[in-house]
Amino acid sequence: MDLMDEHQQNQESLALHALDALDATEARLLEAHLATCAECRAALAEWRDATGLLAHAATPKAPSDELRARILAAARSETRAPETSARVVPMPIAPRRSNLWPNVLRIAAAVAIVGLVIGVIVMWRRDELARREIVRITREKTRAENLLALEREARAKERDAIAMLNSRDTKKMELAGTPTAQNARGTFVFDPKTGHGMLMTEGLPATPADKQYEVWFIPKGHTPMPGKMFTVDKSGRAMVSGEIPLEARLNLVIAITLEPKKGSAVPTSAIYLSSPSS
Amino acid sequence: MRAEPSKSSDGDLLRALARGDQTALAGIYDRYRLILFGLVMRILHDRTEAEDVLQETFLQVWRRAGDFDEARGRAFTWLVTIARSRALDRLRASASRGRVASEAARLPHDEVGDAAEDAVRSEQGKVVREALAELPSEQRRALFLAYFEGLTQTEIAARLGDPLGTVKTRMRSGMIKLRELLHDKLGNSM
Repeated sequence: MDLMDEHQQNQESLALHALDALDATEARLLEAHLATCAECRAALAEWRDATGLLAHAATPKAPSDELRARILAAARSETRAPETSARVVPMPIAPRRSNLWPNVLRIAAAVAIVGLVIGVIVMWRRDELARREIVRITREKTRAENLLALEREARAKERDAIAMLNSRDTKKMELAGTPTAQNARGTFVFDPKTGHGMLMTEGLPATPADKQYEVWFIPKGHTPMPGKMFTVDKSGRAMVSGEIPLEARLNLVIAITLEPKKGSAVPTSAIYLSSPSS
Repeated sequence: MRAEPSKSSDGDLLRALARGDQTALAGIYDRYRLILFGLVMRILHDRTEAEDVLQETFLQVWRRAGDFDEARGRAFTWLVTIARSRALDRLRASASRGRVASEAARLPHDEVGDAAEDAVRSEQGKVVREALAELPSEQRRALFLAYFEGLTQTEIAARLGDPLGTVKTRMRSGMIKLRELLHDKLGNSM
C-alpha cells in the first residue's frame, strides 16, 4: 500500500459522489471531510465537470416552441428590478408649442421636466439599491444555509461517534504520546467487523501550514499502511473517521506522524502518538 | 447593458442573467434547450413532465444565476446539474406513484447513439459519445443507471446482480475515462 493507493481510494469516493451514487452514510462521511478539505472540494468540482458530460449520452430533443415563450413570460412576471423599472417609467414629452408660452410658464415647464427626470433617476437608484439589497440578502441566506449544512454534518459526525461508542462490537484503544509529543493523548474506537474506526486526539502540537498529521495502520509483519490525513485545532484536538484496511484489522496497531500535506507513502517523521504495541 | 447572446460565453450570459437581463435568459435557453430537454426526457420518458421540468430548470437558473461561481466549475455543469436533479426529483415522485419507473424499465437504456440524430448533436457531444461507446458495456451501464436513474452504488449492484465492489470499480474506471476526455480532447475551455 503506498501513496498512490491512498490517493486513489479518496478519488474513488469523490468520483462516485460526483454521480451522487454513494450510499447515505458514506456520502455523509465524505461531506464532513469535504467541509474541511479545500483540495478534495476542488477535486470534486473536477469530477462533477466530468459527470456533466454524461448528459451528452442522451439524445438531444427539441421541446415544443411554446415552452420558450412560457419560460420567458414566467421569468418576466418575477419582478427583477433594473429592467422592469426602465420599462415602466415613461419618458416625459415636452410640449412642442412652447415658444408661444410666456417665460414663466416655460420656466415652470422646464422645472417640471427637470423634476421628472430627477424623479426618474431617484426611482431608478432606489430600485438599484433595493436590487442590491435583495442580492445581499440572498447571499447571506446561502451563506447561512451553508453554515447550517456544516453544522448538520458536525452533528451527524457526533451521532456516528456516539453510536459507535455505544455499540457492543466496538473496541476501544488508548493512544499515548511519544517523547516527541508528551502531552498528546488519543482514543481510537473501531468496529472490527465493519472496519469502521474513529480517532479522537488531544494535545497534539499545532499543525504547521505545509504539513498534516497522517494515520498509519501497522499490520503484523507488514509495512505501515497510510490512513487519513488530518489537522488539529488549537487544543491539538481532532476527530477523524475512516476505514481500517482489511489486512490491519487483526492485532491492530496504529500510529500518527506529521507528514507533508499531500501525504506520504511511508512514515517520514517521528511518531507522535501510538497505540501500545503488542 | 445587454449581453449579445450568440457571441457571449456561458459565464457572460449567466452574469447578465444575474443582473436581470432577459435576453441572456433567452440566449442560454436557445443554447442548451436541446441537450437539457434530451437529458430530462431520457430521465422521465414523458414530454409533459419533461417540459415542466425544463421550465422549472430555467426559472431556477433565472432566479439563482447570482449563485453561479465560475471558479467552482463550468457553467454547463451547473445547468446540467440543476436539470438532472430536478428531473430525478420528479422521477422519484412519480416512481413512488408507480408509473414512470416501469415505463422506463422497458426502454433500452444502454443505447449510445442514433445515427439519424447525430446531425443535430454538438461536436462536444460527439466526442463524449464516442468515448462512452468505447467503454466496456457493463461500465457504461453502471454509469447510466447512476446518472439517468439516480441509483446509488448499492442499488446498482442489486439491479445488476453484481458484487458492490465490482460495481464501484466499474463506475470509477468509467469516470476516470470521462475525466481524461475532459482534459485531453475537450480542454477546460468549454
